Amino acid sequence: MDLRTFLTSLERDHPEQLVRIKRPLEVARFELTALLAHLERQGKYPALLLEQPLNLKGEVAPFHFVSNLYALRARCALALGLRADQWQLPLSLEYARRETQLIPPTVLRTGPAPAQDVVRQGDAADLRDLPIVRHHAMDPAPYIDMTPAMRDPDGGFYNLAFLRTMYKGPRRLGIHMSPRHNWQIARKYEAKGRGTPLAIVVSHHPAFYLGALNVSPFGVDDYAKVGAIMGEPLRLTPSVSFGDELMVPADAEMVIEGEILPGVREVEGPFGEFTGYYGPQRLRPVVEVKAITHRRDAILQHIFVGHRDNWVIGGIPKEGSLFNVIRGVVPTVKAVHFAISGSCRFNCYISIDKRVDGETKQAALAALGACDFVKNVIVVDADIDVFNEREVLWAVATRVQADRDVDIIKDVKGNTLDPSQTDDIMTAKLIIDATKPARRPFPSRVEIPDDALGRTRLEDFIPAEILERLNVSTEGG
Amino acid sequence: MARIFWVTCPQCRGRFYCHWEELRGKGIPLLCPYCSRTFLDSESPAIQE
Repeated sequence: MDLRTFLTSLERDHPEQLVRIKRPLEVARFELTALLAHLERQGKYPALLLEQPLNLKGEVAPFHFVSNLYALRARCALALGLRADQWQLPLSLEYARRETQLIPPTVLRTGPAPAQDVVRQGDAADLRDLPIVRHHAMDPAPYIDMTPAMRDPDGGFYNLAFLRTMYKGPRRLGIHMSPRHNWQIARKYEAKGRGTPLAIVVSHHPAFYLGALNVSPFGVDDYAKVGAIMGEPLRLTPSVSFGDELMVPADAEMVIEGEILPGVREVEGPFGEFTGYYGPQRLRPVVEVKAITHRRDAILQHIFVGHRDNWVIGGIPKEGSLFNVIRGVVPTVKAVHFAISGSCRFNCYISIDKRVDGETKQAALAALGACDFVKNVIVVDADIDVFNEREVLWAVATRVQADRDVDIIKDVKGNTLDPSQTDDIMTAKLIIDATKPARRPFPSRVEIPDDALGRTRLEDFIPAEILERLNVSTEGG
Repeated sequence: MARIFWVTCPQCRGRFYCHWEELRGKGIPLLCPYCSRTFLDSESPAIQE
């Protein structure tokens, strides 16, 4: 399973989903993100395939570059082998189904891995040869914003996470880690005075990245989780720098191998983050690049961080993982959705077929406990479509009394990049119970009788040509 | 997010912000994201904190 196969089928079967950019584009001078911003303002979110991205030397790089691949859930559904129209609940549930069945990786021993068609080591591993995107005005440099893989020195399991790495020199990157799993691994190496081996998986099949964003306890092997989401074992090969000590995906388009230097901190950032705000400049560890390996004619990619591309890919795995967690305590959970309005991280909508009143809070607390990104939880009844935010807010408007149905939990671990937090780590969590009470009569929502809907067909009353001319209302107010 | 402070680059006058606990008054050169000049926070013509 690889990226190029996916892109070929995407372009063949859904040509409207992929736009080729044939002219040279200087991605390190905001030209890519400017294009994406123009499209975003028109409400258009195609994936872009750059045929002539410029590298950091200003030359046309011998790579293609794909961008905005995850901005529509439909493309994520296709990446998991679903139909494009299964982009809402079926996609969440498919992720939930797959993630419970870990598929251990296999090791490719029979020949050179595609990801190592070309190997550049030492000074030949020059980041300036790559197209690296500078995203937002206050970013000080181009950033690679894909997934470093690290291996826990004690447990031997792998962790994958999207981490920003700032270009600092031909073989030097600054790396930002929040206090999460990868940070714990790097701390272990540093405590022993050792550098942390890492491999940035710059480009792979989109299912690889959807798997990488799973919500699992520390200690679960992310390579096995990725296999679960891909639906087949992830093929691995020894890294050229660390051998079997750090295995890397054999079918990646490009891998950057390096080491986080122990005890070294340098200024890094600001960087436009998933929140839609810049994270501040701060002291962060440094990566020394040891090797760049890639396929011939590699297709690189990035995430348009702080925009739909970044939000959607983060939301789907959380929907699937939290669905499973919540189902453990509230078996009647129907759906979990991370809304675009909360960067697909902070605002979590859960629908349950409530049987007793306490289930609402059970579901909300399970979500809050399982994922520290989750900040505001709204629990609704099963008649509310959590993928329709207007319905969710209608439930809040009509089923909530704030003095009774709202809970605030103070001083819980949050996310360091949340600009509203006044503490570096801790945040306040909000639970809104927008379900109908189970123990007292409650009014019924209005409805048109089914038999009337069945016998009164639009096309019998409004000519087709007029019906086609009617605009679909996108008014939110 | 942790406490931040805004600085102004003495060279290009661009404004950006930094992590207060790690970088305020620590004698660590800051990097202007607009012109790549490095400077101490004490050299900033204006600081908002």
